[in-house]
Amino acid sequence: MIRLRGVRKSYTTGKVVNEVLRGVDVDIGEGEFVAIVGRSGSGKTTLLNILGALDSEYEGSVEVDGRQLDSLDDVGISDYRNRNIGFIFQSFYLMEHMSCLENVALPAVFARGSESMTREAALARGREVMEQVELADKCDALPNTLSGGQKQRVAIARALFNRPRLMICDEPTGNLDASTAHAILDLFRALNEDQGITLIIVTHDDMISKACKRVVRIHDGKVVEGAGEFATRERPELDPTEDGGDDTPAPTEAAAPSQEAQP
Amino acid sequence: MRLTRLLGIAVDDLKQNRKHFLLASIGIVVGIAAFTFFLALGGGVRKVVLGEIFPLDKIEVIPRSFDIDVSVLRVPLATEIIDEAKVEALEAIPNVEAVYPKMKLTIPSMVYGGQKLFGNNLRAELIADGVEPVLVSEDVDGEYPFEDFEAGVEGFNGWQSLPSATMCDTDEQCTETHGETYYCWGVDELATWERQVKRAKQRKKEPPPKPVDNPRCRQYIPIIVSNHIVELYNGSVRRAHGFPKINPDSAVGFKFDLTFGASMVEASAKDRTLSAKGMLVGFSDTAINLGMTMPVGYIRRLNVEFGDEKTAGIYHSAVLQIRSKDDVAGVAAAVKDMQLDVTDTGAEEAALLITIFMMVFGFVSIVIVGIAAVNIMHVFFMLVYERQQEIGIMRALGASRRDIRRIILSEAAVVGALAGSVGVAVAIGAGRLFDWVSERYIPEFPYKPHTYFEFHPALLFAAFGFAIAFCVVGAFFPATRAARTDPARVLTGQ
Repeated sequence: MIRLRGVRKSYTTGKVVNEVLRGVDVDIGEGEFVAIVGRSGSGKTTLLNILGALDSEYEGSVEVDGRQLDSLDDVGISDYRNRNIGFIFQSFYLMEHMSCLENVALPAVFARGSESMTREAALARGREVMEQVELADKCDALPNTLSGGQKQRVAIARALFNRPRLMICDEPTGNLDASTAHAILDLFRALNEDQGITLIIVTHDDMISKACKRVVRIHDGKVVEGAGEFATRERPELDPTEDGGDDTPAPTEAAAPSQEAQP
Repeated sequence: MRLTRLLGIAVDDLKQNRKHFLLASIGIVVGIAAFTFFLALGGGVRKVVLGEIFPLDKIEVIPRSFDIDVSVLRVPLATEIIDEAKVEALEAIPNVEAVYPKMKLTIPSMVYGGQKLFGNNLRAELIADGVEPVLVSEDVDGEYPFEDFEAGVEGFNGWQSLPSATMCDTDEQCTETHGETYYCWGVDELATWERQVKRAKQRKKEPPPKPVDNPRCRQYIPIIVSNHIVELYNGSVRRAHGFPKINPDSAVGFKFDLTFGASMVEASAKDRTLSAKGMLVGFSDTAINLGMTMPVGYIRRLNVEFGDEKTAGIYHSAVLQIRSKDDVAGVAAAVKDMQLDVTDTGAEEAALLITIFMMVFGFVSIVIVGIAAVNIMHVFFMLVYERQQEIGIMRALGASRRDIRRIILSEAAVVGALAGSVGVAVAIGAGRLFDWVSERYIPEFPYKPHTYFEFHPALLFAAFGFAIAFCVVGAFFPATRAARTDPARVLTGQ
């Protein structure tokens, strides 16, 4: 599904060039449940942004279903995000002046072509996903009346609105207490297992990374573990056993890369 | 993105930031109100000045005169004339739609009457002009026609051969028989003649000839007067004499006696006089400014009666109807090439002054709106900065850069539309207030208009459009900056 090869990314501050990703090769297959872990500043969020097509300024190649993302123009990339990706962030990013239902239906506003739908249809679909996250009774509520866990559920509902194949989550439990984080994790697991949605989660949370079927460990701008079988085969110099000194524990047996996750 | 959704988002955002936008749009409201107000004022004044005081689609041509001044006298050395040939040449000038020759009454005359209007009969010297009835047909379309009822007859008294000139004893007989525009001519003349005969007998002099054997029905000479006279009378003259204010509409039908060949200046009086009665049938700016205007046929017959046949074909001026106001300069130049002059009405100077007035105030208003647009730009820059994460999440959810730019520009357009509507409404309200104050507190003056403003729909649409355009222009750079928002940076801090 997603194939990254030789992806490099650097930021320049004045005369200082900070290379954040230094030739990343990763494969992520359909229906995988992947955690990206690493120290702060290791490049995991940058990698997530590139995977989610939020960042298109990089070197190397990102291929999705055989199509190079960098061949798409701004409208093409935007359309790709709209149709295929659901985003979940630590800070929820809900529009405070809109009701929960309107927030959830917001992706419909930016849908193009065959994906565009009437307002009524969008709101109906919004109710459907609000039910899915068990917040049907909060459709008309404003986000500032909800708890952190409820807000994240609304954000998940928004991410699910366009039936995405891929969900990109950046520290989704970072602002939640343990029990709420557990409930969100259960929801992610259900989405992955029941609907086959591919989930890529950047996290520092052990509970989350342990629950994932595969962990991609990134250290100092390089993937040091869990790059995927093909990526490892094509770049044999990559040592999957290298200890990056990460503050995240190594994946458990259950979190090892699954065979069907390979492209 | 659908327009309705775009506007929906824009309106939601405006509601969210209504205080900012309210403050930012005050400048637009003031600017657009000033723009609309002053241009409407200019348009209204222009309408009165160029439409009523100096009609610009008509020019009056007069013969060129070569004079020298000798002490207090101006002695004419040579004068061009306007005859039938000149009239034809004038008609041949490009963009001249029609030529209407005018003829002045060249004999002293007097007018008497007015009791019904002023409370007393007044006697005054008559200055009279003759025009082709078709020239004033648009102005005089009331119940009384303006036409030469005695056209085709021989001499000024030839009317007695007309079939309608039936014998009578009183005006009522003629009114009943022929209509309201008839009176019984000769009753007063015979009474005067009898007095003159008696006086002649006493002085043992030759009695004057009998003016008519029997009184006969005759139509009043239709008379029109200029709106200037009414304005001058109502605005100034009546105050000096304590006369009532005249309602022009009810003055139509007013009748008076006309005596041709008579004058208050004894030396000017002719040895014989002709009499008739006139009836005011309407008002026209084409009429002579001070005096009475009648169909040119009457003037021609009177001038021939007291002069010679040649005077029948000599006009004192000609009114040229021009296709468009824009062609006036070209036609005026062609007229001057024919050794004729165009009367200086002051219209060009007035038009120029009004145009300058409109340009200055229009410019000032545009500057106000421009400054407001800069203010709008600052507000949008600030809001775009504050809403970075909102814009970022919209980008993450599928909004393209173009979508973001359109959202911001739509917000600006909505602000412009609202501010423009309020500005236009304020201008109209201020105009109405101004008119009300004028109506109530400003004394009458010549040409005092009912309204000083012309809120032409095109002006209102233009003002509305300007408001939107300036806001959109003001929001352009902020919208471009918003479109460049990097979602990765604002959402994940990378």
